[in-house]
Amino acid sequence: MVRRVAVVAGGHSKFGKRYDATMRELCAEASKPIYDEGITQDKIDASVLSYAASQFTGQGAGSALMADYIGLQEKPHLRVESACTTGTASLRAAWGMVAAGLYDVMLVMGVEQMNRVSSATATEYMSRAGDMRWEYPYGISFPAFYALMASRYMSEYNMPHDVLAHIAVKSHFYGAQNPKAHLPKEVPFEEANNAIPICRPLNLYDCSLITDGAAAVVIAAEDRVKEFTDRPMWIKGIGAGASENMIQDRPSLTSIPGAKRAANAAYAMAGLEPKDMNMAQVHDCFTIAELIAYEDCGFAEPGKGREIVENKENYIDGRIPVNCDGGLKSKGHPLGATGVSMTYEIMKQMRGEAEKSSRQIKDVKYGLAHNVGQSGQFVNVFIFERGW
Amino acid sequence: MAEKKELYLGYSTDKAITPFFQNWLEYLDQDKLMKSKCSKCGTEYLPPRQHCQKDMSECTLVEVSEREAKLYSYVIVDFAPESLSSKQPYVVAIGEFPSGLRLTAHITNLTSMPEVGMNLKLGFDKSPDGKMITYRWLV
Ligand SMILES: [Zn+2]
Repeated sequence: MVRRVAVVAGGHSKFGKRYDATMRELCAEASKPIYDEGITQDKIDASVLSYAASQFTGQGAGSALMADYIGLQEKPHLRVESACTTGTASLRAAWGMVAAGLYDVMLVMGVEQMNRVSSATATEYMSRAGDMRWEYPYGISFPAFYALMASRYMSEYNMPHDVLAHIAVKSHFYGAQNPKAHLPKEVPFEEANNAIPICRPLNLYDCSLITDGAAAVVIAAEDRVKEFTDRPMWIKGIGAGASENMIQDRPSLTSIPGAKRAANAAYAMAGLEPKDMNMAQVHDCFTIAELIAYEDCGFAEPGKGREIVENKENYIDGRIPVNCDGGLKSKGHPLGATGVSMTYEIMKQMRGEAEKSSRQIKDVKYGLAHNVGQSGQFVNVFIFERGW
Repeated sequence: MAEKKELYLGYSTDKAITPFFQNWLEYLDQDKLMKSKCSKCGTEYLPPRQHCQKDMSECTLVEVSEREAKLYSYVIVDFAPESLSSKQPYVVAIGEFPSGLRLTAHITNLTSMPEVGMNLKLGFDKSPDGKMITYRWLV
């Protein structure tokens, strides 16, 4: 029998270039608010540690190090890895164990420490997620994969770069109101549209940040939820999808096929539709990724995502507020923490606990998290339901 | 037996060479681009696979005779991974042959901005020492 599972608590470190911390201290920052609420180690049965790229730290078997640092050394733990979607993959793994009855209460800790190497080295490490024989030798960096999507999208739909710059402006508008954001500053449209090129047609402000940070959530089985909170956030739908490994093998570059499959599966499990969502956290590793996410999640028809941008429907009072915490673009993108951070943000929004009212979305009953790994090889979509 | 020539694909190379890949590289060294074809079901692959994705049967190498393609998509890499930073900026393109086969490679002779749909021609390239070999797109 599958048990219902809820997110009952969460914690979040400051995101940024955290030269004052390593993955240990970041995990401590993210778990402290959870322990402070009384959900202490003795109440947690097991944990999943989410970090994507051990090459950034050189630390092998990092889940043991982190579990030990946050006092979970005697509890079962494991590491999950699926590139940038590691956070929600970890949540999916933990959900399965709790739903199946193996454990009642689990901690999911997402973390990444990325700034102890240069930007060029970080770009090198991330490019090795491409096919090492057929893509890597041509220097296709992580932004280059999304630039290949952007070139094709802009050509097929005759879309100017302006649309992408408006997405960056929106991300920074909200990131500036998020004290945990890596780059909490507003960016004017002209600056976003004319920034230095990184992988044309994408420029600096089309790209997410190389960030250190951690986020954690605790999930509990239905019959234990009341011990921890009277404001549970139920995991209502989970969808996972996958796509061809080499980007040239995709049938289309204007959509991520695995993201569509994941979203459709999540809606089917939840018994809900795109129009039921009150907010979304989408994987805006690049502005083009956010635009494509509107379409893959069913908020816009193919090729019409730009209407959401042009009508500002993605702002807090719009039809579908998206990434009103700054997203990967302004809040930052510590790979393994990102999916957990999305989950945390939806819980805070549902609880009306955004730090500033100017970024608080009203009356969130359903929230969607869309978390993409690499250039779409793995995708997880979660639908959460307010439980009070 | 002839001495095995040391060959690597591309500009920043993966050095994990297998006998199948070595054989493919030796054809490329003679300016022959080979695809692979499943010995059981006939499915073709470019880039080549030793094993068919559908049935894991062994594939054999067959020459790609097409030389002209259209630009399916491109990126101008201004900020490169560390191993290719001396070459930046460079243009990576996905070209599509009339048969539908696609190939990802650099365009090396552009004099103006690339455009999706433009004509491409297949070319071949070698490093001065002859060890790093590759295919490339030309406009
Ligand atoms: Zn076959």
